Amino acid sequence: MESGSIPTFQPRLKVLNHRQALAIHTAALEILEKTGIKMEHNESLDMLAGAGGRVFDKDWIRLPAYLAEEAIRSAPRQIALYDQLGNKTMPMVDENPFYGTGSDTTFTLDLETGERRRCILADTANFAKLVDGLENISFAMSMGNPEDVSKVDYIYVYAFAEMVKNTNKPIVFIADRSEDIAKIYDIACLVAGGEDQLRQKPFLLNYSEAISPLRFPAHVMDRLIFCARKGIPICLPSGSNAGGGAPVTLAGAMAMGIAENLVGLIVHQLVAKGAPFLFGPNVSALDMKSAVVSYGCPEWSLTQGALADMRDEIYGLPIWSFAGASDSKVVDAQAGAEAMFSIITAMLSRCNLIHDNGYLEYGSTSSLEMVTIANELVAMARFFIKGIPVNETTLALDALERVKNAGPQAFFLMDDHTFENFEQALFLPKLLDRSRYDSWEADGSKDLYTRSNEEAKRILSEHQVTPKDDGVLKEIDDLLKAL
Amino acid sequence: MSYQTLLDAVIKGDIKTATEETLKAVDAGQNAQDILDQGLIEAMNVVGGKFSKGAIFVPQMLRSAKTMQECVEVLKPHFQENAMTTKGKIVLGTVKGDLHDIGKNLVGMMLEGAGFSIIDLGVDVAPEVFVDKIKEAKADVLGMSALLSTTMPSMSLTIKALADSGLRDTVKVIIGGAPVTRKYAQDIGADSYAPDAGSAVLEAQKLLNKT
Repeated sequence: MESGSIPTFQPRLKVLNHRQALAIHTAALEILEKTGIKMEHNESLDMLAGAGGRVFDKDWIRLPAYLAEEAIRSAPRQIALYDQLGNKTMPMVDENPFYGTGSDTTFTLDLETGERRRCILADTANFAKLVDGLENISFAMSMGNPEDVSKVDYIYVYAFAEMVKNTNKPIVFIADRSEDIAKIYDIACLVAGGEDQLRQKPFLLNYSEAISPLRFPAHVMDRLIFCARKGIPICLPSGSNAGGGAPVTLAGAMAMGIAENLVGLIVHQLVAKGAPFLFGPNVSALDMKSAVVSYGCPEWSLTQGALADMRDEIYGLPIWSFAGASDSKVVDAQAGAEAMFSIITAMLSRCNLIHDNGYLEYGSTSSLEMVTIANELVAMARFFIKGIPVNETTLALDALERVKNAGPQAFFLMDDHTFENFEQALFLPKLLDRSRYDSWEADGSKDLYTRSNEEAKRILSEHQVTPKDDGVLKEIDDLLKAL
Repeated sequence: MSYQTLLDAVIKGDIKTATEETLKAVDAGQNAQDILDQGLIEAMNVVGGKFSKGAIFVPQMLRSAKTMQECVEVLKPHFQENAMTTKGKIVLGTVKGDLHDIGKNLVGMMLEGAGFSIIDLGVDVAPEVFVDKIKEAKADVLGMSALLSTTMPSMSLTIKALADSGLRDTVKVIIGGAPVTRKYAQDIGADSYAPDAGSAVLEAQKLLNKT
């Protein structure tokens, strides 16, 4: 740093002021205290009642605010995810954003034919490998519920094993119940080299959901408690979508979603104080014509920007969010516009774990091309929030003087200052096309969909994933065979 | 008698005016079944048409459905001996293992608005529960929903349970939900597939006209 240099302001989006943030938080606490929640898991219900909750209608319980406040205080401020080689690649704290793919789509766009078809296990492998080869995509999710698994009860175990075999990046995984999450944990321990090693350097995070409004099914709580005990980071966002599972007004939907999230956090911290819990609900909007939960709407970006403000004002916990997704059925202008809208706003809000990059069709279809495009859009967004460093070098008065004195033929492109600084000073696109018309035409007049398709194919054929130990792979296969 | 004011009120979702108009029609000696068919269901046909053209939004459509239900409550005591004739009896539920019900509830409201009588079994409904209710209620249609691709197989198991209990030929099966496709419906031997609530109504109408 040069002496007397000016700190660089990094562009930042603010959605809520302090009083708005507090009012939503207070409403969430009021929901817990007055409305109550439906806890369908006996162990959790007993635990909550024992800690000060009041059961009032079979499995409905009201929770005093201090339980939430205590849980917020005991949960860790940082969740660091490691890659599978043991490097701390995702320190989620304060303002660090990390982008990754999503889970559980039913369909995928076939890379060869472009056709929308059911997902198979090989797709999960391809998505994981692609993520491994994309520099701005930090973690992998399955991007599909594969149709071709031998035992559908263990679908998430197969998907997890497939990801482990095809990427070394951190994995955000889904599970259904105690049995399959235990198998996934076993695989993770094999990869990490044991339970202690996994706890020390977790490379996985579980995504589970409560059901809005206010409902906590037993098998969901089983997973939450399992993760708390094993120190596996978890998030528990409900789908508190405006107009569907939650009130149509965004403040009310956020309050309810946060209340639901606090319930998860309370149980989680009662089970294991200090266990890592990624905060935040999913507050999108239900489309008022189709009744689908929108993945391209401005509302979701707005509520997670608001949540980032609440993180900074109140919670201090890293947050769960989404970006890089679309409601469009194909990789078209709508898909690009919606993906960029959420990617840049998530970046400007400094959301932490940002999933669903590469989704089409409101999360029903995954696309390797969209993930490849998202990788570039994230790079643009990252460039943008670096801001404009202002110092002697960047003000470049010397360069101006040089160019002025070098005569009428001189221009900045040939100056040393340009040569020395252009790679930091400018964004250099890889996938977005800025070529001159003639060369673009000569190269086949390819649109972004075509180029991203070719780039995805190139990465899948050329990228080498650092292979895992043969012994570990064999043990994983044995575990799968024994399911 | 013209039901125009009643029609307009249901279409607008004006519960107060609609129930008043229903009562007025009853007081004027109109037949309850006529009020239902020519007033309420006719209004909901208009609403359904507007909705499928994208001219109104879901909450407006649901408000009309709610208005209609309030009017049906007013009408109920005025049906003679035989209960009101509906377009058919539909058993509805989200399949076993699946706890999601927003889509299924929407389908139920729309079917009700179209004049069907609905028996909603809720979520996480086991095959045998569907079978028992269909037998008991002599249902014409079974509508099953699943949000998760992992719970879809439960649809197939339910159809098999219907066959095992000898009821398969007595009831038409419509399935739907995010991961469900027309091909899946064919594969498991369902009679029909509805990608959204609006088409569930059309499919139910189509299936029952055939029978």
